[in-house]
Amino acid sequence: MAKTIPIWRIKYSPKTFEDICGRKEIKARLRNIIEQRNFPHLLFVGPEGIGKTTIARLFAEEFLGEYSDANLKLVYADIPLTSEEMSLARSQAHVSTSRLGSLAGKTITMPAFIQVKVKSFVQLKALGNVPFKILIVKNFETLGANQQGFRRLMETYGTNCRMILISKKTSGIIDPILSRCQLFLISPPKLEDFQDEILKISKNEGLIIKRDVIRLLYKISRGSIAKAIDLLQLCSIETNEITEDILYDNLIVMQNDLIRSLLMMCLKGLFPKARELSRKIQKNYKFSPQQFFTLLMKEIEKLPLSKHAKILLMEAIGDADLRSIDGKDIDIQVSALLARICYLSELFR
Amino acid sequence: MPWVEKYRPKSLSEMALPTAKLKGHKIDLAQTLRDFVIEFFKEREKINVQNKEIRIHNKNSTKSKQKNEIKMLPEKAAILLEGPPGVGKTSIVYALANDLKMDVIETNASDIRTKQALEDKLNETIKSRGIMDFILNTRKKIILIDEIDGIYGVSDKGAVPTIVRLIETTQFPIIMCANEYKQSLQPIYNLINKIEVNPLSHEEIIKIIKRILKKENITNLNEKIIELIIQKNHGDLRSIINDIQGICQGLDNNFDVDLIEQLHRDSTEDIFSLIRDLFQKVTSLREARELTNKSDVDYNFLYKWVNENLPSFYKSNEELAKAYEYLSIADEIYGRIRKTQFWSLLSYFYDLFAGGVSLVKKYKKPRGGFYPIKFPRFTATTILRLSSNEASLVNKIKEKYELSEVEIVQEFIPFLRILYRSSRKMAKEIIDFFELEANEKNLLK
Repeated sequence: MAKTIPIWRIKYSPKTFEDICGRKEIKARLRNIIEQRNFPHLLFVGPEGIGKTTIARLFAEEFLGEYSDANLKLVYADIPLTSEEMSLARSQAHVSTSRLGSLAGKTITMPAFIQVKVKSFVQLKALGNVPFKILIVKNFETLGANQQGFRRLMETYGTNCRMILISKKTSGIIDPILSRCQLFLISPPKLEDFQDEILKISKNEGLIIKRDVIRLLYKISRGSIAKAIDLLQLCSIETNEITEDILYDNLIVMQNDLIRSLLMMCLKGLFPKARELSRKIQKNYKFSPQQFFTLLMKEIEKLPLSKHAKILLMEAIGDADLRSIDGKDIDIQVSALLARICYLSELFR
Repeated sequence: MPWVEKYRPKSLSEMALPTAKLKGHKIDLAQTLRDFVIEFFKEREKINVQNKEIRIHNKNSTKSKQKNEIKMLPEKAAILLEGPPGVGKTSIVYALANDLKMDVIETNASDIRTKQALEDKLNETIKSRGIMDFILNTRKKIILIDEIDGIYGVSDKGAVPTIVRLIETTQFPIIMCANEYKQSLQPIYNLINKIEVNPLSHEEIIKIIKRILKKENITNLNEKIIELIIQKNHGDLRSIINDIQGICQGLDNNFDVDLIEQLHRDSTEDIFSLIRDLFQKVTSLREARELTNKSDVDYNFLYKWVNENLPSFYKSNEELAKAYEYLSIADEIYGRIRKTQFWSLLSYFYDLFAGGVSLVKKYKKPRGGFYPIKFPRFTATTILRLSSNEASLVNKIKEKYELSEVEIVQEFIPFLRILYRSSRKMAKEIIDFFELEANEKNLLK
């Protein structure tokens, strides 16, 4: 390698299908498929961060070989569209010509996501000596009701383009989609495979780490190799000998504790400061409203409050989340939530 | 019957014509428009004859020898009148049509809600020629597109191609009216001539009013009151006549100056003092309603002002929580109104964000003193908005490592920042690897 890659996560990310750590059965199944040169629509399900997307991408590149540039596309279903993309989708809407019924005269749009990001790709014919194109859709379950649009797409363009859908759980996916896909339950790598990989990296980077410590690392990162490598790199800044304490110390650095600070401010009743902080968080992290409320919910669990207090807080967050579905101004809903928490905190004391 | 309709001039000779400019030069509005319409029909006739011959030629010749049909120059097909409301743009078109014994096909902003509707409405008029005209034995028509700056689709440019196509193929002259320059209509401005129509002079208006009053047999209307009304309406003849009619009808002979003040249409309440009054003075729902009624500010910004300034006025968490409860429900209602188009719910929206919020302080002493009013901040989170520096950093990362934009912003960049700050060597390696420029580097510092 001519240039050193400074980020370990990138340096040690698998470059080919074979490089993928562990998951021998899944790899065997997929290798079988590559040999057969054919597969139905696939659905990869598994917890967050364990490598579903990487596996899907490397598998597809292996399958398509030299033609993978033109015939492979990876789209993220949970990314909000930019304003240009939204106006493009809107401009392609048409007005229903039916005269009766609820559709009369209404503007009909295809879900913007499908219109802008998916449709053009699946419609064009595959190029080169490949049986079909491959579309990988990550976080498919976040589409919600728009999954229906996909169902038609999968039928109509199925011969031209196969889809690999990636999701965290099957419960978020509608039945018609489930029935059209072959299911792959992706699991995190086994502890031994994980330990082998980490040992390999540590040797390369001059770190000293025992297998026991790697077991803790496995638990902290929940089987996500990328997160484990990140933590390892952070630790390596200070020292070469990685112990359990050092892992914990650096874990705190890595975690985003802004949300926790926000809640602490509210519980002290400092509304103006809390609002400033929430706006700063929003500016830097660009959380969607749902993400923001989910993060708040998670933090509530960790707070040292009585059960009763936690329930009141969760109710407040739930209300804010519900209102923000229809509401136009998220800042107002968040401010309302913060104000309510500030007020509730007076009752707790 | 409204006086505005009753006394609408039936002929150009009756009208006090407003002054007008075309390309910076003063023109005689009546003459220009008359010439435009007559020229149009001559030109149209000529082109139709030529196109007929071309069609015959095309039928009898091979594919390679096909000729294109001739199109009329857009500036001969359409013309735009731009001027403040109530100055006479629509009236002049009707008067002109009457003089030339033509009909007017009118369409305006309130008619058209979708591109399809715009096309449907105008389709038959632009395309009808030949036998339909003969059967219906119609007179010639002038197409009037009124309030073109308000037509649905102007802001997202859906209407513009429709209008351009209309101009290219129309069989009748098109006169468009607008109140103000609209950037999204620039493609149309580029094609046709625009006439700027100025408001009538004070003397002209008085003459017209006096003429109407004479015909209506009203003799006891004070000169001073007429002056007041003319002043308040800024040259908008339509609203002046409406006001005068309002005063003269349904009231006894006491023409109160205070009453005139109430008719004043555009009392713009300064937004700052409105917010202050809302928090400091308002003590009842009725007062809150009056306050918001008087305001000119768009309601969907007004409640953002309330949001921004609430904490300045309410210091106790109890007041804040209660006020925000109402404000957040108001926001939800507003969102539902926009989705369902049930605009009748708007009154609840107002009552909640103005009344509900201001009345939280009902039983406490109103706060005196001066509080600086802050401007509302606009944040949209349903659209992913990255600054250009953020976007270019994200792209550079994406080139080297596959992640979604959101994952990069929320997880990868914070991690990268920690690494960047850890040592000079690491910072340099990161810059080299991702090929970062100065503005992107700053995001990591």
